Amino acid sequence: MSVADFREQLAAGTRAARVVAAVHQATWRKVAQREAALAALPHAGALRDRAAQIRAHVVAHLPDYLEQFVAQATARGAQVHFAPDADAAVRLITALAVQRGLRLAVKGKSMTSEEIHLNAALERAGLRVVETDLGEFIVQLDRDRPSHIITPIIHKDRRQVAEALVRELGCRYTEDPTELSLIARRHLREIFRRCDLGITGVNFAVAETGTLVLCTNEGNGRMCVSRPRVHVALLGIEKIIPRLVDLPVLLKLIARSSTGQALGAYTTLITGPKRPDDSDGPAELHIVLLDNGRSTILAGPHREVLRCIRCGACLNACPVYRNVGGHAYASVYPGPIGSVLSPLLDGPSHADLPRASSLCGACLEACPVKIDIPHLLVALRAEHRARRPLSRRIGLRLWAWAMQRPWLYRLGQRVLRRIVRDDGDGFARHGPGPLGLWTAGRDLRRPPARSFRELWHTELRDER
Amino acid sequence: MNADSRPPAPPATFDALLARLRAAAPRAAGGDARGAAPGERAVSADSPDAPLPGDHLDLRAVPPDADRVAVFTAAATAVGVTVHRAARQAWVPVVLAVLEKLGARRILLEAADHTAFRAAEAEALAAALRAAGREPLVRPDDDTLFDGVDAAVAGVTAALAETGTLVTATGPQTARGTSLVPPALVALVDPAQIVGDLLEYFADPRLGATLPANVNLITGPSKTADIEGVLVTGVHGPGHVHCVLC
Ligand code: SF4
Repeated sequence: MSVADFREQLAAGTRAARVVAAVHQATWRKVAQREAALAALPHAGALRDRAAQIRAHVVAHLPDYLEQFVAQATARGAQVHFAPDADAAVRLITALAVQRGLRLAVKGKSMTSEEIHLNAALERAGLRVVETDLGEFIVQLDRDRPSHIITPIIHKDRRQVAEALVRELGCRYTEDPTELSLIARRHLREIFRRCDLGITGVNFAVAETGTLVLCTNEGNGRMCVSRPRVHVALLGIEKIIPRLVDLPVLLKLIARSSTGQALGAYTTLITGPKRPDDSDGPAELHIVLLDNGRSTILAGPHREVLRCIRCGACLNACPVYRNVGGHAYASVYPGPIGSVLSPLLDGPSHADLPRASSLCGACLEACPVKIDIPHLLVALRAEHRARRPLSRRIGLRLWAWAMQRPWLYRLGQRVLRRIVRDDGDGFARHGPGPLGLWTAGRDLRRPPARSFRELWHTELRDER
Repeated sequence: MNADSRPPAPPATFDALLARLRAAAPRAAGGDARGAAPGERAVSADSPDAPLPGDHLDLRAVPPDADRVAVFTAAATAVGVTVHRAARQAWVPVVLAVLEKLGARRILLEAADHTAFRAAEAEALAAALRAAGREPLVRPDDDTLFDGVDAAVAGVTAALAETGTLVTATGPQTARGTSLVPPALVALVDPAQIVGDLLEYFADPRLGATLPANVNLITGPSKTADIEGVLVTGVHGPGHVHCVLC
């Protein structure tokens, strides 16, 4: 995405007042829920230290743990594949499905699958792909994109959900969230009966035992890993944890950080496919290990970001996310984590994102594995300084030059005071001339009637 | 996607990936005492090279001498599980009353040796259900499971006090669908099966070697809050979860 695209998205995002209201309400609620849950957790601070230590340890020793994971998972009957990039992963999964004649795929919520844009490719290969997480299901009906990594439809209110269900499923109109959820349940239940391919992400993968761990709430994830005859799990190479004993440390934090629950409704540990004497479950378990830029991140100075457990707490805590919503980032991963991850995964197309932050530090405070996002953002900004738009570079130069000449600066202030018109509320949204570039994505406070300098000379100095 | 910014070739094979990761983090290959890379700040006092503690039991939530039944009951109730107490000899009427209240007519019974609901218990309950004009089912086929079961009764492998969690495991006697597909779940739990918390449960050294294909930690009914944060229960899994301690 170009810088201009980002501004457009930003403008579109901030214009939609309904979206802003929905996101505001939801994020504040989630912040309160997270804080309450962590306040009630014994040893919360020590658990965060330990969780950060475990994840940093894995990042530092990833090759050993990856090798162990693959050996263990294979020994327990899983088939492990490696995908260097998104295209390879998509090709691999599509071929797998086509070779086996699979027709109906059910998906659990997986940001990694969004990252590789899997659905379109499977559909081109003739499969029907159904998102089964309620939020993702609505996103799919609306041909929309998720705007939050945990709550995909955080930007929609109940009316929009109702409209989507009525339009696509032909059901009766209702705005009651319970009835709306039950409508989706009835529709998806038939699909769970007939599906033959389940595709999910993975929250944690245990090297010691080759176990995949899924944290879910609705039960759709469990359906996806127990109903179809083939389960494909898409696993980013950084999601490994060393041992089973390390799992509870992360489990204690992930739900509390994302939804304020002590534990999600379902924590599922999957160790290999259906055993010979199991009465149900998938006959085949395929684990697709996805690199897609992660090994490059690990080799660079920003590897700390690979600790992330995708809990979404930093999104909820972020004042920028709260005001612009997830779509404004125009990247799969929005919010503070997205502002770090997207430029690293996708390169220059997201180089502007690290500037979508006030560096207030709320994300660091919220992060259960203590990723220093503000520092990473500053480092990424520095790397991309040269790519700042020319207009901004010239603007900042001029500013610096004028500031060194008090008479010129004073003159500039006076001119600005005359030409900047606010919208009656102290904020200008359409700056004159080149200033318009700045206000395209921001509100500019109207310059005060008198500058500090003037106040100083006329009043303050006498009171000293 | 813009590939220009990336180093020329991503590792094409798993071995190439490992080699690349090893080159990036020589510490992992052994010995190199290089300090933390720039951008990677030390975590508390520990560096990524410090060995992890053997277990994390020092951080457990429920002290070993706590009343686990009381902690479990409070936590399970808080997440929407209805907890019942029954004397060891008198659990059948309690379960019957629960099923009656649920309006369940066709009831899946899943007995398993490693739980508090074994063949003998299943037989006793089946007889009582028939006497009450209800239909007990064992190993129903798929269509029955989806359309013809009102509730499932089963045991658990463990329960976690801190979070009010029921732990189930798949095996020759226990199916994935039992605690998932029917709209209600009634779990029989022996109070001796309750451990303090996740840390205690996963510290069991036998766990790793005996992991079945699926272990499910079930904490309350199936739920979502995707629509405006309003809590809705019973989305795809059971909307009603009852626990009978006996
Ligand atoms: S960066 Fe931290 S807070 Fe944000 S999603 Fe990742 S783990 Fe959660």
